[in-house]
Amino acid sequence: MGILIALLGTVAFAVLAPVVGCLLAGVDRIVSARMQGRVGPPLLQPYYDVRKLFGKERAAVNGVEHAYVVCAWLFACVAGGIFFTGGNLLLCVFVITLSSLFFIMAAYSTRSPYAEVGAARETLQVMAYEPMVLLLAVGFYMAAGSFDVGAALSLDAPVIGATLLVFLGVLFILTIKLRKSPFDLSMSHHAHQEIVRGITTEMSGPTLGLVEVMHWCENVLFLGWIGLFFVWGNPASLALAVVVALAAYFLEIAIDNNFARVKWQFMLKSAWAVALVAGGVNIALLAFL
Amino acid sequence: MGYASKSPWVIHYDGSSCNGCDIEVLATLCPGFDGERFGVVNTGNPKHADIFLVTGSVNEQNIAVVKEIYDQMIEPKVVVACGICACTGGVFHDCYNVIGGVDQAIPVDVYAPGCAVRPESLIDAIVEGVKALDEKAAALKAAKKERG
Amino acid sequence: MALIGFLIVFPLVVAALLLLFRANTARNAIVWGGGAVIALASCAFVFTHLGAQEVLIPFESEAIDWLCTGISVAIVAVILAFSYKHKNVWAALLAVVQLAMVLWFELGIEAEQPVAYSLYFDSLSVLMAFIIGVIGSGICIYAIGYMEDFQAHEPEGARDRRPTFFALMFLFLSAMFAIVFCNNMEWMFTAWEVTTLCSFLLIGYTRTDEAMRNAFRQIIMNLAGGIGFVVALYACALQVGTLSFHEFLAIGMQYPQLAVLAVTGFGFAGITKAAQMPFQTWLLGAMVAPTPTSALLHSSTMVKAGVFLLVKCAPLYAVCPAPSVMVMLVGGITFALCSFMAISQSNAKRVLAYSTIANLGLITACAGVGTPEAVWAACFLILFHAVAKSLLFLCVGTAEHHIGSRDIEAMDLLFERMPRLARYMMVGIMAMFIAPFGMLVAKWATLVSFVDVHQVALVIILAFGSAATFMFWAKWLGKLAGIAGQPENVELTVHKSEWFATTLMMFLLLAACIGIVPVSHCIVEPYVASVYGVLGQDIASDNLWIAAICVVVVSAVLLTPRFRNRGRQVPVYLAGVSADNDARTFRDSLSNQTPATARNWYMEDVFGEKRIAPVGVVFNSAIMAVVFVLAFMATPMPF
Repeated sequence: MGILIALLGTVAFAVLAPVVGCLLAGVDRIVSARMQGRVGPPLLQPYYDVRKLFGKERAAVNGVEHAYVVCAWLFACVAGGIFFTGGNLLLCVFVITLSSLFFIMAAYSTRSPYAEVGAARETLQVMAYEPMVLLLAVGFYMAAGSFDVGAALSLDAPVIGATLLVFLGVLFILTIKLRKSPFDLSMSHHAHQEIVRGITTEMSGPTLGLVEVMHWCENVLFLGWIGLFFVWGNPASLALAVVVALAAYFLEIAIDNNFARVKWQFMLKSAWAVALVAGGVNIALLAFL
Repeated sequence: MGYASKSPWVIHYDGSSCNGCDIEVLATLCPGFDGERFGVVNTGNPKHADIFLVTGSVNEQNIAVVKEIYDQMIEPKVVVACGICACTGGVFHDCYNVIGGVDQAIPVDVYAPGCAVRPESLIDAIVEGVKALDEKAAALKAAKKERG
Repeated sequence: MALIGFLIVFPLVVAALLLLFRANTARNAIVWGGGAVIALASCAFVFTHLGAQEVLIPFESEAIDWLCTGISVAIVAVILAFSYKHKNVWAALLAVVQLAMVLWFELGIEAEQPVAYSLYFDSLSVLMAFIIGVIGSGICIYAIGYMEDFQAHEPEGARDRRPTFFALMFLFLSAMFAIVFCNNMEWMFTAWEVTTLCSFLLIGYTRTDEAMRNAFRQIIMNLAGGIGFVVALYACALQVGTLSFHEFLAIGMQYPQLAVLAVTGFGFAGITKAAQMPFQTWLLGAMVAPTPTSALLHSSTMVKAGVFLLVKCAPLYAVCPAPSVMVMLVGGITFALCSFMAISQSNAKRVLAYSTIANLGLITACAGVGTPEAVWAACFLILFHAVAKSLLFLCVGTAEHHIGSRDIEAMDLLFERMPRLARYMMVGIMAMFIAPFGMLVAKWATLVSFVDVHQVALVIILAFGSAATFMFWAKWLGKLAGIAGQPENVELTVHKSEWFATTLMMFLLLAACIGIVPVSHCIVEPYVASVYGVLGQDIASDNLWIAAICVVVVSAVLLTPRFRNRGRQVPVYLAGVSADNDARTFRDSLSNQTPATARNWYMEDVFGEKRIAPVGVVFNSAIMAVVFVLAFMATPMPF
């Protein structure tokens, strides 16, 4: 039964998340433009971009790259399906890591110098944020008593009360996960990228379009993690969760537009320090109090 | 109007320009003119770009580079020669090492003259290029359908 | 019962035959045949005892007691001979100390404590028998082809010592079977020492200075561990009053204070054998041996004996706080630090070694936690680690012989140079660190069990260690995945036996990952239930099935021989100045051709051995010293 629900959830997520993610990306571009004193593109610009990419000629450096990207997209959808049907949060975390790995492998498979640099940096980013993501799942478990996301709906109070530090830690690494400056080392959405286009350098046309769709799905999932902190038995809390997730997204856009990219040393050390302090202290408090 | 024209991603290459046109190309994307209103994004990667903006003339050293970048762009694609040097070689046309305008190396779809080229005329050229992009996209789609 | 005797004795027969018939063809036939029989026998044993509860077998033999004493003396004699030849005082000293303790024990104390049920089996033995029998003999078969190449690479006129090599491998298997089936602790100890000696001889196989140095390091550390084992035997005999492991566990769970010293001693013995920090250097040094030896040591024997003992003692760790803290912390710290150090290594075998030590650390930590959930996780870690690691070692060994290097950087383009092997290796690597493969599912269970007992330190260690694990595996995977140009296929000359063994491991791996729910149901849960009376699975079966489905998808993608490029084949972007795009060379500013190469990140200054190893060595040594003192103080000494 659980398998069937996860499967249906995956299909639903694969259909709905791109819609939401696309709108979010459009808002991002407009808000960013306004922050820079520009007008910015239309709201549906990300949609136009992806439609255009899917209409372009198929061209690739090798045959496996596209297959790996399809896997990355597929597992991102599975992770989303598991999360939004109230499945196991740890499983969701692991599956989204699998998705990242396929994305990294796609870049490595091209053996292009720029893509390889991007892939290596992406690997480093995963290493930087992974501890905090695991501690997020642990923190949720200790506060909610279950790894099942669905358990949040039967709580008397949202988990944020017990996991404030974890929440702040997750906000920190969210910048890495959403590929926002100052932590957009492996690939940047902005014109000032330094390694051509990092991990996506060799991806083009429909493959790149699929990568964009995958990022939309991922963004929806990550914002779901943020919202999860604010969900409890009251149905109105879902609205609160959405509001908080959107606020977090706005915060990330603001950060994106206000900070210059950092070196990897700073990213790794700061992300691990935050995970250790925020995650560790919070979990110790939950365990011993 | 197809989707190709709604999202013209550009790549900018400086052949042997005096940098005057380059500054204007970047100005086009900056807040003052905000090329992104029309979906213009500077990609810096031929594999992602639809429109190739070349500034400066083509010479013995860079002709291979211009050709390679053009070849690596994915169909449908459009070339815009930005500034008079890119169009014809400009004041440098009879230098010992200059071959001429960009059209000596690759097919050019839109010529945007000027010294330096103004952002307004660049936006104009991109909008013009977008039309060509649409036509090519339609042709590509038809060809794909034909092949089955 | 007969099958158990067969599994222990038959490898000895094979070993004897191998020493007798020294011709190449005869040896190959014996190894193929012997390996196949052992594998089939252990499969038969597993399938006839699925879901077995603990079964004690009434068996008592004065003769075997004496034989064990004889073997102990013989082992020490061999060690003394080698120490004399290579002038190694420490090994000789430890061997003599151990012999004195053993003789005093066996002639003085043990004689008064007969064990009525000397043999036993339970589901953990079943699991181990599968690992030893199938994976172990698979490795022996692999060695046929490998050692042929190995001998061909030896200098002209070098002595062909392969008969001894293969005999030792089978002796090793026999000793391992004895360890997992003996309830009589004295017999178990003898088998334990046999594995120590076997690995000493296998590590020193080439007899070069480096090999002997590393072999001696191994034997010194493991003799120290052996002394820990003897101390535990004393404690069992004198305080607990039994030499039956079964009774020891039963009494210990009721009266933990009696068993403290014994489990501390067993813990120490297990920690040395499982190469936990500060003893990690012996396993790293063992890399000088031919690859089948490494594969055997890392996957199905030796180190697995260490964690087997720890997992057996797990219920006692759950009730004895001091040894539990020792085992947990030593394991946990080893896991995190060795994962960090693996990032800084470019030698494939060293990466594998660090990963082995790290994963054993995790198993050790699980044993230290000692809850049913932790033991469930530990059993799966043992299984998946054994299969995946043997696959990886065998692949690396074959690759080494065909590309002439075991450096990860030299594995560039292996995807095309050795297409099949590279795909196997990629599956093996993914199986080690990423969901949905079993290893990660086991880590998941580990995490849950740590959280449930509120071991905050272990949870944090696991979180950071796993992140590091991702880094060092993913970058290796990336190196393998690269495709460029049309390199020559160099895997056409790989020996049949090597293909057989690697393919076998590959299928075992996928079968174990996909069948994780049945394996849990038929083997692991019965063991946990027989020890604790409750089921230890802390992950819903539904989630395990989702993982299994994902395994199918991922392995199908990885093992697809060739993906057709559905579009135009294009060169990679080289800033518009490519010279020979297939070779990734570009025209540089002097109009010369320069290859664009990227090396992986090793981050030596952050994760280097020099920086990290001392931390673990000091920390873990201190923990063990403190716990031993506590254990001695806690137990009244009868002598």
